[in-house]
Amino acid sequence: MPERASTGSTSLEVAELHAWYGESHVLHGMTFSVRAGEIVTLVGRNGAGKTTTLRAIMGMLDATQGAVRYGGDDLLSLPSHRIARRGIGYCPEERGIFASLTVEENLMLPPKVAEEGMSVVELYEVFPNLRERRGGMAGKLSGGEQQMLAIARVLRTGAKLLLLDEPTEGLAPTIVQQIARVFAVLRERQHTVLLVEQNVRFAAKLADRHHIVEHGQVIDVLLGSELDARRGQVEAWLGV
Amino acid sequence: MDLHISAPVLFGQILIGLINGSFYAMMSLGVAVIFGMLRIANFVHGAQYMLGAFGAWFLLSLPELFPGLGLPSIGYWWALLLVPLLVGLTGLVTERLFIRRVYRLHHAYGLLLTVGLALVIEGLFRIMFGSTGAAYPTPELLKGGIRLGVIYLPLYRLWVIVASAIICFGTWLLIERTRIGAYLRAATENPALVQAFGINVPVMLTLTYGFGVALAGLAGVLAVPVYQFNPQMGQNIIIVIFAIVVIGGMGSIIGAIVSGFMLGVIEGLTKVFYPEASSTIIFIIMALVLATRPAGLFGRDDGGSHGGPVSMDAGAPGGDRPAMARYLVALGLIGLVAPFFVYPLFLMKLLCFALFAAAYNLLFGYVGLLAFGHAAFFGAAAYVTGHAAKVWGLTPELAILSGVAVAAALGAVVGALAIRRQGLYFAMITLALAQIVYFYAVQAPWTHGEDGIQAIPRGALFGVFSLSYPWTLYLFVLAIFLIGFAVIYRTVNSPFGEILKAIRENEQRVISLGYDTSRIKLIAFIISAAVSGLAGGTKTLIFQLVTLSDVSWTTSGDVLLMLLIGGIGTVLGPLYGALVLVAAQDYLASFGSWVLVIQGAIFVLCVLFLRGGIAGALEELGRVVRRDRRKAGLGTPPRAPAAEEPTR
Repeated sequence: MPERASTGSTSLEVAELHAWYGESHVLHGMTFSVRAGEIVTLVGRNGAGKTTTLRAIMGMLDATQGAVRYGGDDLLSLPSHRIARRGIGYCPEERGIFASLTVEENLMLPPKVAEEGMSVVELYEVFPNLRERRGGMAGKLSGGEQQMLAIARVLRTGAKLLLLDEPTEGLAPTIVQQIARVFAVLRERQHTVLLVEQNVRFAAKLADRHHIVEHGQVIDVLLGSELDARRGQVEAWLGV
Repeated sequence: MDLHISAPVLFGQILIGLINGSFYAMMSLGVAVIFGMLRIANFVHGAQYMLGAFGAWFLLSLPELFPGLGLPSIGYWWALLLVPLLVGLTGLVTERLFIRRVYRLHHAYGLLLTVGLALVIEGLFRIMFGSTGAAYPTPELLKGGIRLGVIYLPLYRLWVIVASAIICFGTWLLIERTRIGAYLRAATENPALVQAFGINVPVMLTLTYGFGVALAGLAGVLAVPVYQFNPQMGQNIIIVIFAIVVIGGMGSIIGAIVSGFMLGVIEGLTKVFYPEASSTIIFIIMALVLATRPAGLFGRDDGGSHGGPVSMDAGAPGGDRPAMARYLVALGLIGLVAPFFVYPLFLMKLLCFALFAAAYNLLFGYVGLLAFGHAAFFGAAAYVTGHAAKVWGLTPELAILSGVAVAAALGAVVGALAIRRQGLYFAMITLALAQIVYFYAVQAPWTHGEDGIQAIPRGALFGVFSLSYPWTLYLFVLAIFLIGFAVIYRTVNSPFGEILKAIRENEQRVISLGYDTSRIKLIAFIISAAVSGLAGGTKTLIFQLVTLSDVSWTTSGDVLLMLLIGGIGTVLGPLYGALVLVAAQDYLASFGSWVLVIQGAIFVLCVLFLRGGIAGALEELGRVVRRDRRKAGLGTPPRAPAAEEPTR
């Protein structure tokens, strides 16, 4: 895979981030940065702290320490809704579809945070399944459709930085390919993406850089092209 | 039952039912909106309704209340606009100051907090206005009426029905068909995610609470020209409203509206065909609905909300008999010495209530079931014991045993109906079922209504030892307390008790281990009811008196308060709590309605600042002392971490 030149300035910077769930200390000084327009992953085993990192960036944790800077401001002290308003879109683990709302209500739910978001018409072109089922209850969608909805939902808001938590989890290979095509759209629209992924093969094709996470820390950084070459080592880290 | 009912009577009652139903629908709607979004069972809703009624009267009477200031009298139509806004504003403040502090706690605290607030508001209004009501004139525009076939329909009543229907429909539209409604519904499912999308959920919760409270205020204004209004009007309606919300399906908007109107009419019809049941019919229907459709008529079955853990764990590890023996011997010795220092009647009252609280602790503290109707068992046993001793002439031990038997049987019935639901559902169901017992006691001939059973003979124990001697009576009560306490302690610290505690922590996991948790919870419920009955029966013989207050919901509130003060899920908590409450009631008795205010304030303060109770505070003190001796540990979170994960 050819190396993409990332010329953008630093978009998101996470420095010495610690986080706790109650008494248990989960993040132990996460440090990494993402430049504007990059697609970057966090890969690691279950429980390594990947999802927690995304939740900490979104301000969804009570006990955190360190720094999360975006566009020059420290996000860590802000409440979660103000972080979203800075232009960060979040696709949570398990997709976070509201089952009691219709597909279209789900799509329209997150408020616009910037002007450049995709219109509903454009989104329905990219995700034709969603148009067909727009009036139906979102809880009735298949897993793949729910994932499409979850991504479409943040694309409408105009958020520039997207945090995606395991978009391929539990999906059939053909659906995973569809999601890979969505990443082409993200790249084209110059979104900055922080992707949590366990599916290394999927991540390898898409991302510019990979951060290997273990015990709540980044233990190594690989360029997109290196991942294939060092797959043996990476798989040993991931325990697969 | 008279089946020759004249048409005017029938239609008249249907009409009255529709009007009552209009209020039920508006009130249940507010409770359902608040419950759906905030997962708070808003017990203070009745008091907020009362605020609306008094607000309208207050605005009208400004010139008489403040003569000389030249204030205008503000009439009905302005009140209809202003009062809901003002009452809603008090709701916003209440949410900011109190309600939001308990979102992340076990749902019991939300109920306790709103019960406390209701007591404070009602107490203050009683102090200011007494318990008698006042009248409010029907607005000029709506005087008179129209004749509809056989019945005469006053215009104002027609207006109430129309207004309520419009408000209910409007609220339904707002929630089901608008963008704001979509935010609300989404936040019901996953508030943290909605906030992560950029919506200010805390403000939305505040506004939702304010809106629900404004609905109560509006209902209050609509009510003043129809009903007598007085400080108790809220308390009288709130339990019925809770039952209606349970029938409709908790948190279901359409369920609350439909059930509100429907039950109003059913209640009206009951007044025609079987008036004796008119005050209980709603609770009976609730029992029937729960038996067939546990989630309510329109409810989605989400198993009830599950908050964080209710309290600290019970300190005593394992079920070693020596520990139990130590407790019993220590309590027995203190019990023997105490009468030399303290008034024995006070001590006996304390022992009864401590036993009652211990019985309740078994269920709430150790199984995590928030029952809110234990007065039914306490009071039923009290009545049966009184009747058995006075009318049947049974000896005291047999009289108490018959009370215990009735309490246990009642516990089996209530438990069987309620046990399938959890959390707040469980609280509301037990509360409503207990109300059936209450209204039975109001109406049955042998309970003598408002008078209660008086001058009950204490008799002679086993027909030999006369309990009219203070020491004999005292030793008898102490022995009963120790037996009851031992039963509870033994239950908690047995393998059975370990399963109970496991159910409290994670019921699903206990089920997956192969236990029939419903049956286990039911057994615990029956034991708790029986021991509550033991306390109630004993109380009857001490005071030689049973009254309606023994079966009223405030007694259920008292036992909950005792446990909260003492320490939920602790061995000695019930005793500490009973000591505080019995002492407070004794010393404050002369303050009249201030007792309500003080009791309510204790509720609120305990929920906000002393959730571990006295037992918890003592333990914390011990821990601090021990920690001071060691060095402070490292790696503690910088900001105080929330004790529990947000789980709503």
